[in-house]
Amino acid sequence: MAWGGDEDRRSEEEQEEELDEADYKTQKDAVLFAIDVSSSMLQPPPASTEKRADKDSAVTAALKCAYQIMQQRIIAQPKDMMGILLFGTEKSKFRDETSSRSGSGYPHCYLLTDLDVPAAEDVKRLKELVEEDGDDLEEILVPSTEPALMSNVLFCANQVFTTNAANFGSRRLFIITDNDSPHAGDKNAKSSAAVRAKDLYDLGVVIELFPISRGGKKFDVAKFYDDIIYRDPAAEAGVSDEVKASKSGDGLTLLNSLISNINSKQTPKRAYFSNLGFELAPGLTISVNGYIPLHRQTPARTCYVWLGGEQAQLAQSETTKIDGSARTVEKSEVRKAYKFGGEYIYFNPEEAKDLKKMGGKGLRIIGFKPLSQLPMWASVKKSIFIFPSEQDYVGSTRVFSALWQKLMKDQKMGLAWFIARDNANPILVAVLPSQPPDETHFLPAGLWLFPLPFADDVRSVDITNGPRATDDLTDGMREVVKLLQLPKGFYNPAKYPNPSLQWHYRIVQAMALEEDIPERPEDATVPKYKQMEKRVGEYLAGWKAELAVKAKGLMQSKATKREFDDDADERPVKRSKSAPAAKKPSGSMNNAQLKAAIEQDTLKKLTVAELKDLLASKGISTTGKKADLLEKVEQWVEENA
Amino acid sequence: MADKEAVVYIIDVGESMADCHNGRVESDLDFSMRYVWDKISTTVAANRKTWTVGVVGLGTDETDNPPHHEGLQGYHHISILQEISAISMSSLRDLRGKIQPSSTSGGDAISAIVVASNMIEVYTKKLKYNRKIFLVTNGDIPVDDTEESIEDVANRLNELGIELVVIGVDFDDPDYGFKEEDKHAIKAHNEATFQNLVGKCNNAVYGTMAQAVEELSIPRLKSVRPFKAYDGLLTLGDPEKYENALTIYVERYFKTKRAPPPSGSIVVNRSEFAGPSQLTQDEDVEMGGTGLSGVQQVRNYKVNDPDAPGGKRDVEFSDLEKGYQYGRTVVPFSESDFSVIKLETKKQFSIVGFVPFSSYDPFLNMGETGIVVAQRQNDESELALSALIRALHELESYAVARYVQKDGNQPQLFLLKPNPGIDDSFECLYDVPLPFAEDVRTYQFPPLDKVLTVTGHVLREHRLLPTDDLNRAMSDYVDAMDLSKFGADDEGNPAEYAPIDESYNPVIHRMNQAIRTRAVHPDEPIGPPAEILLRFSKPPPKLLDKAKSEIQSLIELADIKKVPAKAKGKRYKKDTVKPLSGLDIDALLGNNPRKTISKDNAIPEFKQALATASDDATVESAVKQMGEIVKKLIQESFADLQYPRAAENLRVMREELINIEMPALYNKFLTSLKSNILSGALDGDRREMWFKHIIGGKLSLITSDESEVSGVTSDVVNEFAR
Repeated sequence: MAWGGDEDRRSEEEQEEELDEADYKTQKDAVLFAIDVSSSMLQPPPASTEKRADKDSAVTAALKCAYQIMQQRIIAQPKDMMGILLFGTEKSKFRDETSSRSGSGYPHCYLLTDLDVPAAEDVKRLKELVEEDGDDLEEILVPSTEPALMSNVLFCANQVFTTNAANFGSRRLFIITDNDSPHAGDKNAKSSAAVRAKDLYDLGVVIELFPISRGGKKFDVAKFYDDIIYRDPAAEAGVSDEVKASKSGDGLTLLNSLISNINSKQTPKRAYFSNLGFELAPGLTISVNGYIPLHRQTPARTCYVWLGGEQAQLAQSETTKIDGSARTVEKSEVRKAYKFGGEYIYFNPEEAKDLKKMGGKGLRIIGFKPLSQLPMWASVKKSIFIFPSEQDYVGSTRVFSALWQKLMKDQKMGLAWFIARDNANPILVAVLPSQPPDETHFLPAGLWLFPLPFADDVRSVDITNGPRATDDLTDGMREVVKLLQLPKGFYNPAKYPNPSLQWHYRIVQAMALEEDIPERPEDATVPKYKQMEKRVGEYLAGWKAELAVKAKGLMQSKATKREFDDDADERPVKRSKSAPAAKKPSGSMNNAQLKAAIEQDTLKKLTVAELKDLLASKGISTTGKKADLLEKVEQWVEENA
Repeated sequence: MADKEAVVYIIDVGESMADCHNGRVESDLDFSMRYVWDKISTTVAANRKTWTVGVVGLGTDETDNPPHHEGLQGYHHISILQEISAISMSSLRDLRGKIQPSSTSGGDAISAIVVASNMIEVYTKKLKYNRKIFLVTNGDIPVDDTEESIEDVANRLNELGIELVVIGVDFDDPDYGFKEEDKHAIKAHNEATFQNLVGKCNNAVYGTMAQAVEELSIPRLKSVRPFKAYDGLLTLGDPEKYENALTIYVERYFKTKRAPPPSGSIVVNRSEFAGPSQLTQDEDVEMGGTGLSGVQQVRNYKVNDPDAPGGKRDVEFSDLEKGYQYGRTVVPFSESDFSVIKLETKKQFSIVGFVPFSSYDPFLNMGETGIVVAQRQNDESELALSALIRALHELESYAVARYVQKDGNQPQLFLLKPNPGIDDSFECLYDVPLPFAEDVRTYQFPPLDKVLTVTGHVLREHRLLPTDDLNRAMSDYVDAMDLSKFGADDEGNPAEYAPIDESYNPVIHRMNQAIRTRAVHPDEPIGPPAEILLRFSKPPPKLLDKAKSEIQSLIELADIKKVPAKAKGKRYKKDTVKPLSGLDIDALLGNNPRKTISKDNAIPEFKQALATASDDATVESAVKQMGEIVKKLIQESFADLQYPRAAENLRVMREELINIEMPALYNKFLTSLKSNILSGALDGDRREMWFKHIIGGKLSLITSDESEVSGVTSDVVNEFAR
């Protein structure tokens, strides 16, 4: 599928960048949800007549949350794994072995979805389990009479990670429970859980706790969970380990509260680069990590499917390079050459390497400027977030903080030379500070590397302005702007899911689950026309009338001026009368003039060069003979004027 | 589409051009040709059929030009070296041979201009062309200085619309600030004649070669015609449903568009691999297609098949259908399915709402900028857009708009910024793409101005936070390094340093320069990048000098300590890791520490065994057990299923042994594993494990770079990896 014409003609640099992004993704993530299925977790919320009241038990809320996150991950992290382990269930299941009694290696642990990249069946199964009237046909959600041993739960998770996600860079166990003291009074059980937790730590698995508190009772992590949770070794210095309990209340359902808590930790924090040298001044270098918090998400590319077997299967492609004589070419043999005057210009590998060299990787401050010197049009691509790291240079954080505070306070920016990796192309960036998050600022506080365009990237657009608005027109428009502020007065991306992307995955999901093609969903990017009409409709009508009057006045004064000019022209120099009338149409004609030219058939008086100018100004291809060009112009006028 | 071009270069090759002047070690001809070759090769690089070049030699030994053949006087020692035509590499090579100093001192430059203008007239007829003549000379040969001839030539050039550029070696140029002392009379007179001619032309330039050569290093920007991305309505409200909706006819162009560096093609050098005797790199590889051949990519497709050897088999491309992946499920799509998956959209540019400047940070920008102006000659739209721009500017507000470039394109959200045209005299809106919900990754970071302790206390003083002194030093430093008035404008007044229009993409211009150099002088080495390209890679030295004391005190107060390379990893006697509660897990295990390592829990048990080991024997035993587990995993693996796990065990073993500085144990084991794998002793063909997971996964031998006691060099490792 062609996804927009522009993206198909991707430049080499973009492809190179995509490779970086791909490297960055080899840091794969695996998340295993461990959900406590106890009778209290299964207890439905107190009946309420309120519309927005909770309807879900804690288990249902947790499963719904997992269901939603599974769908989300398929879109945003298609290579990452996810699994769901229930514990405290009457039934036990681990992969192929099933048992209704404690014959399993992990009694009262039920591996609902094995850790893997989710498949359509996994989504379907989870959906059936959480749907309002969905029956728990297999009676999975039945609590056991004796509780599950946490040591078993943790070792079960250990095995799931060891076998399925052995070499994943990020592995996390999400425990969802309302029980802050699973082994109260059983010292041995507590100890063995602690030992198994240490195993997980040594294995490199991070445990994230999502406690559920209810009835105002505090979930006390000190009772048990402080013994099994470790400080995340990858976390920044100074980060707090406070866990936030999910609860229902304050207009928020338990489900929403849980989703928001899990979502804040759902995306693994992947660094784009680690411990990069940031040279603030000669002799003063600190280290920073880089992140990409903003990245355009696009639908996955098409793949090739083989239908010859029982199941549709992905065909893996392998490329081999061959030369003119169909001989397979080894990677070490290929060279890069540049077309020049119809021939290849070639550099030997040392030279090629040398040509790319513009200094080593790093970030170097050139100086500082006021923020106001950042031109408003100076934008070429997404920015990178940087945050200090104490790994290579002790003291980086305080120096970084001092710089950040200064730039914030005086509204200044740094100008810096930036090479992200060895062999990456250098760019100039503005170093911009971001303020701590509040209601309208959702990104973290720190510094951003804002890529500046080079002179080469700036297009010159030749513009001559027409008439300017009068003050009363401007004042009128001010009212409209005031009346149509976005909610809370800021652009909140969370309110605007990408309509094309959502539709794409909705269709793929429907096809994968063999469901009906869904209705077209609401597109949040479409302006709220009705609301706008209500707020400013009448007002705009008046404003438009005023505008029409002003425009008419302008036309008249122009016409008078033209007459006057014509008169003035005629007196000193005797000109043939027919000259103005026979004026040839030209590239600067407006739509109405063009239309008229077509009707009067004067368009063909234009030369080929003039026609080409005209077409180019409309962004249309200028290839072809004169007849083709004429046809193109006519077609354009038909469609646009 | 750029305009057509016909350019003739008149090059003085008279005998005096072979001499060196004014302290240069380069002959006047070589000096001049730096400029000419750069010009011509730029034309070659553009690779445009409609950009044509002709070359006329002045002061050649031979004479070859139409007026002379027709018997006209005064056309001696002028030869057409190349007729006007599109120029390719092979014509460039031919030219190189022809441009040599002669042994004549005859040939009239004014006649040469006539020859060149004739060439242009014949070639371009009456068509639309950019016509240009370059004259490059040192002005040693007397020229026809009669006022009548000068007048004639100037008229002719003006009539034909030809631009004349006269560039002379060591010509005086007060604007540039050059004056040749002891200039001989002929040259001085010639210069005056050329200046007279240039003055009479409508479109002509006169300059000195030194300036021209100096300016070669200033990158030339490729001009691109403005591309109209959108032409239609900008609306406020829905005009199809509500008659009160506002509609403005607008046009949208690109304001920024990333210019790509020259893209290379993948080629293979046939001669390099022609025979066994030529294994080493051939230094002076021929260019010009003789040794290079293009490379094609061929795709093969494979599917998993448990019955096939290696678990995979080839399938025919014709048996495949297109589809998408949904998680790990693949979903085949038929043609009709493809039409459903594309969201139906209509071309649109419609305002969603407004937000104040202060709520938006520039780092939310997702890409390139566009520029929106009203349709020309449309008074109503021009007035309406102007009112919108002014209102936004006055209220310090941006607009958010939904943009669909063409029917069927995906919708985007744009931020529209008002440019009231105060600085640059034109009003417009600039637009930048905004992120959607899916594009934001929520990463959490601790605050930078305070430290939160585990117990929830807020600390304002901490080693991670700057002291007041450090803050002050930073503030002084930032102020001292201010660039806002450090540069200079054309008149020498203070101006912004490093504005965007002076910063050139170093990669693009470095590559272009190298390609041109290689094309013109295939045998010469490629020099270093032009200084102008790396100008902004470092702070300006003058500014650093000025800020010396601020830098010094900042460095002192920052008190940064570089972590020695070795201390980066975990140490041998590392602190015991404890959970949040501080519980000592080792103590729990204390009574019966783990001695044996099980396959199921290998990594934690191995780490713990090493952490508590008190002698080498324990370590050796642990490594031995881990090694057996790795081999077993490989041996029992169905196809490649257990390779990642085996590799992870190896990785942990490698890392831990580096930490406790016993790399020899790993290297010994890996050597034995290699022979086991390659000899097929681990149940069949396990080479994928070796090449993809061990060598490809950077799990090869531990070198002395990684662990000083290793004694294995990287050369040994390279050999080992084969």
